[in-house]
Amino acid sequence: MLSRRALIYLGERLVLVAFTAVAVSSIVFLGVHQLPGNAFLSDRRIDPVALQAIMHHYHLDLSLFDQYKLFVSGILRGDLGESLVNRGIPITPLLLREATVSLEVGAAALIFTIGLGMVLGVIAAIKQNSWIDYLATATSVVGYSMPNFVIATVLVLIFAVYLYNWSGGAIYYEIGWNGTYGTLGQISIPAFALGFPYASIVARLTRASMLEVLRQDYIRTAKAKGLSDRIVIIRHALRNALIPVVTILGPLTIGIITGSVVIENVFGIPGLGKEFVQSILSRDYNIVIGVFTFYALAIGLANLLVDFLYTAIDPRIRY
Amino acid sequence: MTAPVLQVKDLKTQFFTDDGVVKAVDGVSFDLHPGETLGIVGESGCGKSVTALSILRLVQEPGRITNGQILFKGTDIVTMPDDDVRDIRGKDIAMIFQDPLSSLNPVLKVGYQIEEAMEAHTRISGKVALSRAIQLLKQVRIPAAESRVEDYPHQFSGGMRQRAMIAMGLANKPSILIADEPTTALDVTVQAQILELLRDLNQETKTAIILITHNMGVVAGLCKRVLVMYAGRIVEQGPVEQIFHDPQHPYTWSLLQSIPRLDADRKDRLLSIEGLPPDLIKPPSGCRFHPRCRFRIERCFHDDPSLMDVGPDQAAACWVTMRRALAQDGQARA
Ligand SMILES: Nc1ncnc2c1ncn2[C@@H]1O[C@H](COP(=O)(O)OP(=O)(O)OP(=O)(O)O)[C@@H](O)[C@H]1O
Ligand code: SF4
Ligand SMILES: [Mg+2]
Repeated sequence: MLSRRALIYLGERLVLVAFTAVAVSSIVFLGVHQLPGNAFLSDRRIDPVALQAIMHHYHLDLSLFDQYKLFVSGILRGDLGESLVNRGIPITPLLLREATVSLEVGAAALIFTIGLGMVLGVIAAIKQNSWIDYLATATSVVGYSMPNFVIATVLVLIFAVYLYNWSGGAIYYEIGWNGTYGTLGQISIPAFALGFPYASIVARLTRASMLEVLRQDYIRTAKAKGLSDRIVIIRHALRNALIPVVTILGPLTIGIITGSVVIENVFGIPGLGKEFVQSILSRDYNIVIGVFTFYALAIGLANLLVDFLYTAIDPRIRY
Repeated sequence: MTAPVLQVKDLKTQFFTDDGVVKAVDGVSFDLHPGETLGIVGESGCGKSVTALSILRLVQEPGRITNGQILFKGTDIVTMPDDDVRDIRGKDIAMIFQDPLSSLNPVLKVGYQIEEAMEAHTRISGKVALSRAIQLLKQVRIPAAESRVEDYPHQFSGGMRQRAMIAMGLANKPSILIADEPTTALDVTVQAQILELLRDLNQETKTAIILITHNMGVVAGLCKRVLVMYAGRIVEQGPVEQIFHDPQHPYTWSLLQSIPRLDADRKDRLLSIEGLPPDLIKPPSGCRFHPRCRFRIERCFHDDPSLMDVGPDQAAACWVTMRRALAQDGQARA
């Protein structure tokens, strides 16, 4: 389906994404090595000989340059090294698993964001200046003037505390997951908190772009063919209205990734975001570097996906 | 004579804007017979497009048809339920628009947009629709139609896009094709080709054509009969040849005086008559053309003329008419 040129372009972009990830992790690598202290100098006293052995195990006794060489050769093989705190635990598989947990919540938030945002936006545009339009606009304003941690806290208060008290502990939302992956019920509230501010942005953008598209000549042509309003909107208007919405999909994905750091910690979700905060607190710098690498990869891939989505939606764009 | 396929009776379409009520179409009546070619001419803003859109009930907010009847084969489109109007759109009455680039959906294949016109009204398989779309593209003389169906509008040239629009319009073999300035956005040579195509299609398919244009020359190239509109009204109507040789309304006369040459620059081809087009919220008293009329008399300032017979099949809304005006001019000079 993809042309040769598109495949070459895809290849180039993938190389660029990988390069960016290496560059980001290098910067973080050099950064954390400038920080005073390390994971072993925490609270308990440690035997100097043992410390020496540990330092050697993690190559911390080598020069910075040699350490960096080892780090880069590792990362190129996909090896992010070993946790400094939980000795012997390789980081790559750990973060990969946690990334899928984050992906689960993030994808739910993204689907929710785009779905709700578009539905609200389309309804607001079609029923312009009706009560639905005003309600959608009001919801949007609330949505994007409230940061996600406020929404998260309010949701926790409602679903975990009030609901518990009101139902005498029969129904409530339990914070913290017992398994690795959440159930649909467990995902829904964090996904809502994560996606809602962006849903508002998508709604406003969809509304504006839909109104613009509905005034276009080709909509009149579609009606003049005798197509029903529903088909005119879904087939002719929506796809065109989506083009500007796709533009913000890149920043939106980044917003969801960064937002997940807060949300995962509020809701106790064992994903990349929670790991990120914990690794900083425990000075597990190898994991900190690893998380940054994952985020850089995720953002690069998301942007790449968005660019290809463009070509799928708008045939005038070709790479 | 056969019964008219379309009868427009005292049509009024108005736009309810913040500045006031725009009387875009103000009492237009005409008949269209099967297979006939009818031109509607007039300068920009005189209500040609709104008349056409009213026929398919496609006038956009804040516009509304406030009066009159539009009888299609005897049934009134104005009062028809929405679903019935939708049945007529594209099937019995098709419409093509001025700018073929903006009138085609940029994200859908040309072939698909033609197939869709058929599928809106008949249950046919995708394969049949596709082969019919190819056939239609061939009919409007698009070369390599088999591969061109797969193209998107931006891959077509301006003339080909308008051909594709025409193919789309003909998809359901409508009894009426309304073409709203189908050539205005095109190059001169392409204009002539499109007109020729419409002329041939009218002969082949017996589809009646309403051709809307600024350009008297374009009317002469295709139509048998013409309506001249001014400020939301028909001011003169009749057979094209007769009106060309013997216009009776001073407005028609000035249009013909300023008849644009096909080889002139595009801007010059648009009609220009001295004076400003009238305000349709508060149209001039008496004859609406009087502020710009060279031949006006006292009566024109307060008395509004309606269409009067001025020749076989020809009518004009004027107290003076060119016959008398020119006779007077001659006397004055003598
Ligand atoms: N959506 C609208 N809102 C307000 N007024 C409108 C609207 N659409 C059209 N009109 C008015 O109706 C009048 C007739 O417009 P119409 O489009 O029929 O002119 P036209 O004869 O087709 O001109 P052109 O040659 O420029 O296409 C214009 O004077 C315009 O001001
Ligand atoms: S009625 Fe009078 S003003 Fe109107 S066109 Fe005739 S002569 Fe001119
Ligand atoms: Mg027009």
